Order: sequence, then structure tokens, then C-alpha cells
Amino acid sequence: MREEMLAIIFGMAVVTFLPRFLPMAFLTRWVIPERVKMGLGYIPTAILSAIVFPILFFNGGGELVIQPHYLLSAISVFIFSWRLKRLWASVILGMLIYWALGFFL
Amino acid sequence: MMNNDQFRGGMKAALPIVLGYLPVGMAFGLLARNAGLTLSEVGLMSLLVYAGASQFLAIEMIFKGMTWLPIVLATFFINLRHFLMSSNLSLYFKNTRFPLLGFLSAQLTDESFAVAISNLPKVKNNPPYLFGLQMTSHLAWVIGSIGGAFFGPFINVSGYGLPFALPSLFICLLVLQLKSVHHFGIMVVAGVSSLFFKWAFHGNWTILLAALLAGGMGVVVEIINGKQKAGGGRQEGQG
Repeated sequence: MREEMLAIIFGMAVVTFLPRFLPMAFLTRWVIPERVKMGLGYIPTAILSAIVFPILFFNGGGELVIQPHYLLSAISVFIFSWRLKRLWASVILGMLIYWALGFFL
Repeated sequence: MMNNDQFRGGMKAALPIVLGYLPVGMAFGLLARNAGLTLSEVGLMSLLVYAGASQFLAIEMIFKGMTWLPIVLATFFINLRHFLMSSNLSLYFKNTRFPLLGFLSAQLTDESFAVAISNLPKVKNNPPYLFGLQMTSHLAWVIGSIGGAFFGPFINVSGYGLPFALPSLFICLLVLQLKSVHHFGIMVVAGVSSLFFKWAFHGNWTILLAALLAGGMGVVVEIINGKQKAGGGRQEGQG
């Protein structure tokens, strides 16, 4: 394997490991105040939203646009999983809707 | 064996992730080969780095002839968001030994985190379950990458709704989190601010900024609500 590529891979491995490991390693040893705990409790919702919205509203070129194919699929998945409350079925339904919409849009 | 059952439970919970990782991993393997990586370099990167967005970005940068330092820096900023997820998970592994925490945290991803927090009772202080979930996901990512690098030219990764597998998974996981009006508020704040930050500053590290802003607002709202209840004991506009 080429040295430059090994440097890239190991460098990337180190900087991805640290943010994953450090909080788990040290926060588990500390007593966390109630209010911080409450804040951490909202983080899943906050992170998932911050991941999902840009996927829906930015195209491959990094421009902020309306993408009807993505938006309509996303809204359908949202409603489906809200009603079904079943992860598996909802994910598959979402893919089917996206696939089906591909024939019309 | 108790442990085996839980490990297997985690593996089952990983199935929707596998569904998303295989095609995305294949796409990565294919693009990486196009950018000049060898089969073993593709496999090693997926095994050791195991971070989708930054691997795609690295391929792009390698293709453009950039050196290791900017690539590693970009990777660092993109994955800083795992800091928050790791902080959140730390709440549920108080009794876990140090080396074990190292293994558990090394395989943390957006997707496995999202699935883990939707099964909290099973995850809490239960490393085998999380291991099963994360090992399976990691394996799917590595197999997908190598498969893509190997068979890439013969597979249509943009068919059958596969490009929407991961967005669909994220949306379903988000819906599972929406337990109160507050969570809806957090969703709107995080969603809109993530769009604004990405539009203004570019890059995936803006996810972290938006999540911190929304999470912080959640704490402030909780504190204000707490004070109101302590003060007047009134509940307004409920039901």
C-alpha cells in the first residue's frame, strides 16, 4: 500500500475515533447535572433534524433548492412512520414511494 | 446464553441500517476505485475510518490530488458531531469498563446511534446489544465497500429506491423521537438552522452547530417551564 494513502487512512481513523471515544470515556465517570442531562436528551431530535433537512433541501452541487422528488417522498415517509410506528416497514415503504415517484417526476 | 441473545437482538435491530449501508458502501467502493484507490485501500479505509460522509469527501479530495493534512482536517470537522452522540450515549453506560467503552465508541455512527436511542431500554448498560447492532452495521459497510470496489461496474446503485434508503431511515428515526410539543419545536429549530448554516458556511460540520443551538434552546425552555411550575403551579393550554 502507498505511504501517502496509509497516512490519509490512519490520520482519518484517529480523528474519527477521538470525538467518538472521549465523551463516552470521561462523561461516564462524572456525575452530570440534571439540566445538562435534559439538554442531552434533546440532542437526538436535534441531530437527526440537522442531518435530515439538509439532505432534503440541498442538491448534489451544494445548492439550496426545492427537490419535489425528495420532499414528497420524505413527507410520505413522515406520515407513514407516524401512523405505523414500525421502523422496518416504514423505511421500506419510503424506498418504494421514492422509487414509484421516480416514474412520475 | 444471555449475552448471545442480546447480541443477536442488536444484530436484528441493525437490519434497516444494513439495507442502507450496503448500497451506499458500494457507491463508495466504486467511486474510490475511480479515484485510484486499490481494493485493499478501500477495505482498510472502510474498516478503520468507518464514516460515510468523510470517506466520500476524502475520495473527492484524493481525486483532486490533495495531501493528507487537509483531508484529515476535513474529516475531523465533519465527524465532530459524534462528540454530541457519544455524550448522549455516555448516560447509559455508567457501569461499563474502560477498554470496552473504547470498542463500543469506535463503531459509533449517525445511523447506529439513531437506532440505539430508539431502543433505549435494551441498550442501557447492555454492551452486547450495542455490539451486535454496531458490528453488523460496520460489517455491512465494509462488505458493501469492497463489493462496490470489486463488482461496481455491473451494479445499478441508483435503482429501486436505494438512494432514499438512508434518508428514509433518518426520517423514521426522527419520528420515533418526537414525543412532545417540545421535540417538534427542537426539530423545527434544528432543521431550519441547519439549512441556514449549511447555506452560509457550507460543509457537514454545520450539523453540529445547528444541533447545539437547538439542544441549547431545549434546555432553556425546560428551565423556564420548570420555574413557571415551581412559581404558580399552573398548567396552561393543555389538552
